[in-house]
Amino acid sequence: MLRLDAITVQFGGLTAVKGVSLSIGAQEVVGLVGPNGAGKTTLFNAISGLVRPTAGRASFEEADILKAPMYKRARMGIGRTFQIPQPMHELTVRQNLLVAQRFGAGRVDEAKVDEILSFLHLSDKADRDAATELSLSELKALEVGKALATDPRLLLLDEVLAGLETASKRSFMKTLTELHARYRISILIIEHDIETISNLCPRVCVLNYGQLIADGTPQEVFSDPEVIRSYTGGGHD
Amino acid sequence: MRVRVLIPLLVIVLYGVVPFALAGNNYVMSILVAALIIAGVALAWALLGNLGGMVSFGHAAFFGVGSYISAIVTMKLGVPVFAAMLLGGAGAAVAAVAVLPALRLSGPYFALAVLAYAHIFKILATEFTTITGGAGGILGIPTLPRVLGYDFGSKVGGYLVIVTIVLLFALVYARIRNSYYGYALRAMHDSEDATRVVGVHSTLLKALMLFLSAFMTGVVGAFNAHCINFLEPDYAFSSGWTMLPVVAAIFGGYRTLTGPLVGAVVVYTVDQLVFKSLIPSGHQIIFGVLLGVMILFAPDGLIPLLAKKLQWVRQPRGCRDPRTESVC
Ligand SMILES: Nc1ncnc2c1ncn2[C@@H]1O[C@H](COP(=O)(O)OP(=O)(O)O)[C@@H](O)[C@H]1O
Ligand SMILES: [Mg+2]
Repeated sequence: MLRLDAITVQFGGLTAVKGVSLSIGAQEVVGLVGPNGAGKTTLFNAISGLVRPTAGRASFEEADILKAPMYKRARMGIGRTFQIPQPMHELTVRQNLLVAQRFGAGRVDEAKVDEILSFLHLSDKADRDAATELSLSELKALEVGKALATDPRLLLLDEVLAGLETASKRSFMKTLTELHARYRISILIIEHDIETISNLCPRVCVLNYGQLIADGTPQEVFSDPEVIRSYTGGGHD
Repeated sequence: MRVRVLIPLLVIVLYGVVPFALAGNNYVMSILVAALIIAGVALAWALLGNLGGMVSFGHAAFFGVGSYISAIVTMKLGVPVFAAMLLGGAGAAVAAVAVLPALRLSGPYFALAVLAYAHIFKILATEFTTITGGAGGILGIPTLPRVLGYDFGSKVGGYLVIVTIVLLFALVYARIRNSYYGYALRAMHDSEDATRVVGVHSTLLKALMLFLSAFMTGVVGAFNAHCINFLEPDYAFSSGWTMLPVVAAIFGGYRTLTGPLVGAVVVYTVDQLVFKSLIPSGHQIIFGVLLGVMILFAPDGLIPLLAKKLQWVRQPRGCRDPRTESVC
């Protein structure tokens, strides 16, 4: 459903993403790993429309997406979260989801918003101010909630599990697994932790210095010498 | 709850009490009409500032375009005055198309770009002498008409028209603010990307607020033209049409709906009754100074600041709910 063809993103002299080709099928769950600065977030930005690739092609459900502005890609069915949560300010948690639904999905269905809220354990925070009254794990859940409210068929999750304590991380992982089962959508998830990614994703892609260096099952990928080198040698935090 | 009582009360006072109580006092009535003109522009300005997140220093452009168009179409094409006022608003919205490229600019750059546009419009009005009469201006602009035997051209009639315009604007503003568009617009201030990523066409929404704000300002400008029956470029595009509403909106609190309205009545009245007698010419310099001070010390407005302080005094600590602190 998503098809990237030799995507390259340059910032001035820096090549953040270098000729990445990648296809993701319907309802597939794919992990995207790589050291800090490998270009993972930039690849998400290219797919969601936040940056314009210098070269390459990208299509979603057979439609060319690179010319579509960011808001249109959201309406086409590409949902994403931000690594640093970006709740919509001056709005409650519920209003965040309602706005996402109204504009992203094109209709308002409060029952579905309630369902998403309860699914992400945000029901009792529904009327809180999203920008000022949530904990980090709640903010990350809200990121997922906003994306879900747009009725996506592809969900790009940028380090939604990073920085969480073990308990909330475990519970969030369970939620993500349930989410996939319930909404039957494709998920591309960025995550550093090898164990987490191996548990969640039957397929893993590895980026290093902007290049795709491996693509396969977690066992294949994490036993690949080049991947091991990038993980031990690369500058990650 | 409180609003349900307040609004009917306000309507009764504005339509039932004020016109009769002040009917004999032409001086106070003129000041009130002028204050409401400022209030209308202040509300339009605040709509763009609060919902669109854009501070404009050039609303005089929309005011001037609205007044000229309405004057010209009534005089040259014989369009009825009330219809012409709407055309004046529409013309101001069309003029706002010229400002669209500035929407990409942020904060002070947008404000200055619009200021430059306002200047260009003034020059155009001066140069297109065949249509606008140039620097000599236009005399004999028709007054507000008589409808069903009631003379809207009278002082009280004019008051009723401008009060209605301002109330309608306030209603529209409130409706937008509490709609999904309003939610998205408010959220955009902090991060436009956060809204675009969920499907909000943020540039379009901002443009719509600009058009609406320009339209509202143009209608008020047109009303003013038919009230005073005379226009010249220096007057119609005077920076005062930006300055006073901006001071009023910031004084009253431009993030609230009532702020610009209350602010306009207070600011204009004080200007006319106090400052003008202190410094007969150039009294508006006081507003320049006040504006600077307010932006530094109370950027959300003076009235919200006072309300906050009072609330703090009245309520025991621990009772303050941060969610209700944002007014209106
Ligand atoms: N908007 C930008 N402008 C300039 N450089 C950027 C920008 N975004 C990312 N980069 C650079 O691109 C590289 C990849 O960054 P990023 O995609 O955020 O990595 P990752 O998400 O894998 O940690 C980094 O060197 C980063 O500094
Ligand atoms: Mg990243």
